Amino acid sequence: MLAAAALLAGAVLVPLAMTPTATGADKSTFTVALTGDVDSLNPFLGVEANSYEMWALAYDYLVNYSMKDMSPAPGLAKTWDTSADGKTWTFHMRDGVTWSDGQDLTARDVAFTYDRVLNGEIEGVNWSTYLNNVTQVSAPDQTTVVLTLRKPNAVLPLLPIPILPEHIWKNVSEKQMKSYANEPEPGSPVVGSGPFRLTSGTAGGSTFTFEKNPDYWNGTPHVDQVVFRVFQSKDPAVQALIKGEVDFVEDINPLQVKALQGQEGITAHNGISPLFEEIGFNTGAVDTKTGKPMGDGNPALRDPRFRHALGYAVDLDRIVKNAYQGAAEAGTTIVPSAYGGWHWEPPADVKFSFDLDKAGQLLDEAGYRKGSDGKRTMPDGRPLGTLRLFARSDSKASVDTLNFFQEWLADLGIDSKVTPMNTNRLGEVILEGTYDVFQWDWFVEPDPDSILSDFTCDQLGGLSDSWYCDKAYDAMYQQQNGEVDHAKRVEIVKKMQQQLYEDTPYIVTAYTTTGEAVRSDRFACFQPQPDPGGVWLIQYGTKNYTMLRPVEQAGDCDGVKSALKPVSAETSDSASSGGNAAIVIVGGVVVLLLLAGGGFLAVRRRATAGDRE
Amino acid sequence: MTTAIVSTPTTQPVSGRTSYARFVGAKILGALGSLFFVLVVNFLLFRVLPGDPARTLGRGRFKTEEQLEAFRHTYGLDQPLLQQFLTFLHNTFTGDLGVSLRYRVPVSDLIWDRMWPTVLLVGTSTVLATLIGVWIGMASAWNRGGLFDRFSTGGTLTLYSMPEWWLGLLLIATLAVGIGPIPGIFPTGGLHSTDVDPGTPAYVLDTAWHLALPVLTLTLAYLADYSLVMRSSLLDEIGEDYLVTARAKGLRDVTVRRHHATRNALLPTTTIAAVNIGFVVSGAITVETVFSIPGLGLLTTEALDIPDYWVLQGAFLVASAGVILANLAANLLYGVLDPRVRT
Repeated sequence: MLAAAALLAGAVLVPLAMTPTATGADKSTFTVALTGDVDSLNPFLGVEANSYEMWALAYDYLVNYSMKDMSPAPGLAKTWDTSADGKTWTFHMRDGVTWSDGQDLTARDVAFTYDRVLNGEIEGVNWSTYLNNVTQVSAPDQTTVVLTLRKPNAVLPLLPIPILPEHIWKNVSEKQMKSYANEPEPGSPVVGSGPFRLTSGTAGGSTFTFEKNPDYWNGTPHVDQVVFRVFQSKDPAVQALIKGEVDFVEDINPLQVKALQGQEGITAHNGISPLFEEIGFNTGAVDTKTGKPMGDGNPALRDPRFRHALGYAVDLDRIVKNAYQGAAEAGTTIVPSAYGGWHWEPPADVKFSFDLDKAGQLLDEAGYRKGSDGKRTMPDGRPLGTLRLFARSDSKASVDTLNFFQEWLADLGIDSKVTPMNTNRLGEVILEGTYDVFQWDWFVEPDPDSILSDFTCDQLGGLSDSWYCDKAYDAMYQQQNGEVDHAKRVEIVKKMQQQLYEDTPYIVTAYTTTGEAVRSDRFACFQPQPDPGGVWLIQYGTKNYTMLRPVEQAGDCDGVKSALKPVSAETSDSASSGGNAAIVIVGGVVVLLLLAGGGFLAVRRRATAGDRE
Repeated sequence: MTTAIVSTPTTQPVSGRTSYARFVGAKILGALGSLFFVLVVNFLLFRVLPGDPARTLGRGRFKTEEQLEAFRHTYGLDQPLLQQFLTFLHNTFTGDLGVSLRYRVPVSDLIWDRMWPTVLLVGTSTVLATLIGVWIGMASAWNRGGLFDRFSTGGTLTLYSMPEWWLGLLLIATLAVGIGPIPGIFPTGGLHSTDVDPGTPAYVLDTAWHLALPVLTLTLAYLADYSLVMRSSLLDEIGEDYLVTARAKGLRDVTVRRHHATRNALLPTTTIAAVNIGFVVSGAITVETVFSIPGLGLLTTEALDIPDYWVLQGAFLVASAGVILANLAANLLYGVLDPRVRT
């Protein structure tokens, strides 16, 4: 008991010793709260979004992304060109880039990294799709990289593969790679070339520390350190921001954003992100080996006209308002409007509106008429049955969306039942084809090729979750994938979105946002991506980690107009000194309690049975 | 699992030393048997979980069948189940718990790293809750119906029925962030500050400072476990004749309570404490989550989502070993305390 009290008292007194070191350091440290793990620091192994952020700080890329719309922008490569037949890509790299151990970063490092992706088994798992059709990578001189292709690949120059130092990684064998951690040792940071150097952190760990790279070719960072702290849930992360233990929280929900907007010294917003949410249909699962129908999906959903009619039975505004608290935009196609250059916006006359009469009329026309009991039937008169709507149990928005959908279906005379389930189970059910309708979401990469491919017949039994398969669509997919003329490719990509909108394997319900909040009394100059309206920190590329700076150095943020300017110049020093005084008080109270308790015990000890009876 | 501890007394006298050796041998064999059983069940149990690690980890990233296959091949997931099982047995007996599918590092390293935060957190809380709980139970039973009794029984029950994460968040909002006059003196989460060097006294204090709130949360939540059991078993003893005798001898109230009543009332609490200590290595999922403490509980729940078979097998092996060992220790201890148990 006394030992326990002493331990508690000790814990109370520690802050007295700790606080000065925490605030007295001259280094400027930008601390980010991540809510989610960093699963591996080895770029060939990790799959979590947070791991991608770690690699991005530590390494460079041949091609970067623009702040405006994530289109390709110069990275290690200053320029690039394509041969007329699209089978040769030549990248011209900048000179004088060095690794953190002093060695030169050359085209050989790029070729080495890409070769590993092309030829290694585990190395190819994360990255091989980006080098689709590439047969050979060569480095004819120090600053030139040449990719030779079997056939044109329009997704190039999108190459989000971190460039690794050959002189370090050539020693990692194929067999070692599967558990090669690539973690820093005390005193020896991970060798990289990015704006920061990873000095501490382990896979699944709770803090990751990066020191600035003073020689970074794309501008020296303005902060000395970036620290990522992993929180396992969002509320404590928000509390840590309010307290000032962290300077930035990301991926918080709209209610948390709203609560933080009222806090002094904090700026919070919902940033536009390339995300969409959908109601997906089982358009006809088949056994990929035999081609025979599989599972027990409702036959009505195999009919595009039936699915399309349901597009008019979804009140997107209500979903945005109630399921996403208004922090989203009504959705249309599978390429979010954040990618303005690729997005196809349906003209007013074909765009879904919430119109149950129209939906009913379209269903009537397609033969799904109401029977005598008011329920819709199949064109041949058989009952339509009950549609199974599967929601993700870990997402309230998912359950809400399908609950709304169930009401609207009931208005149309269609029975349905909502069942929430865990995402693993839902993934299995989708692969087995034993579902009718589900709700899920996608994160879309800067090139639409990847999301478009999910609707090709090739992806049946793979990443396709709607079992959509159409010859004309596949032909267009192949065509755009090889179309080197950008304008022509955009045309095809838009046509593909149009076809999916009409055939409706998905009803895209919302383009959601990512909630972020920053201690704007301490740090400034975050430029949104996409600009304007986009997210402030976890972006494509690391421009903002070199842009952001302490408020007192903010100035005009190098003339970037859209950057987040300092909100107030006040510092929170008063709070911490007040805190110290309070600690003394609390410490005193604890000591008093201990003394009082001790005295009480001593008196009790002396009392005998006689005294008490 | 608790039933193993309670054995029926027997009157048959056997010569002391050999019988105890036989008793110990039987218990150890039994423990090993349980451990092997757990090993087999672990393997099968997790293969039944929904989900395919290659697909969970690769959603949106592993685009082609080749990528999925390469992943499965590298981590041995494409082998027949029997083959995997034999590899698993062989590896386990040679001390190799496999490579985590999620973190791609050896499971034994992972479990070792995650075990200490958990042992510190849950172990300290269990010890504190036992000591304080026993004291509260004792004090409230001795003065049954008194102010302290009513207050402490109500208080511990309220804390017991609060969800741990909510209690944790309340403590964060008050003692870590600070509300009104209450200063925020504790960190909101994590186990260490980033700028403290490991191995220094400051590091130890820093860890204690970080652990104060989570330990407080768990201790408060566990209190009722011990205080209520202690209270009721002491109440059972209070009416006994030997206490009247003790008092009649003129012994001080404290002596009667401590040396006569409490001694006998402690047995049920000992059982609970032994069992709970066994669960120390299973972690405290909710508190680890709220305070972002990288412990075993968190590791295990996250592994379930993948499912990360090797981490799950390893973590459950360690957790089961903890419980089995604690039970074994309790059994052996009972053998020492109460000779009637040795059969």
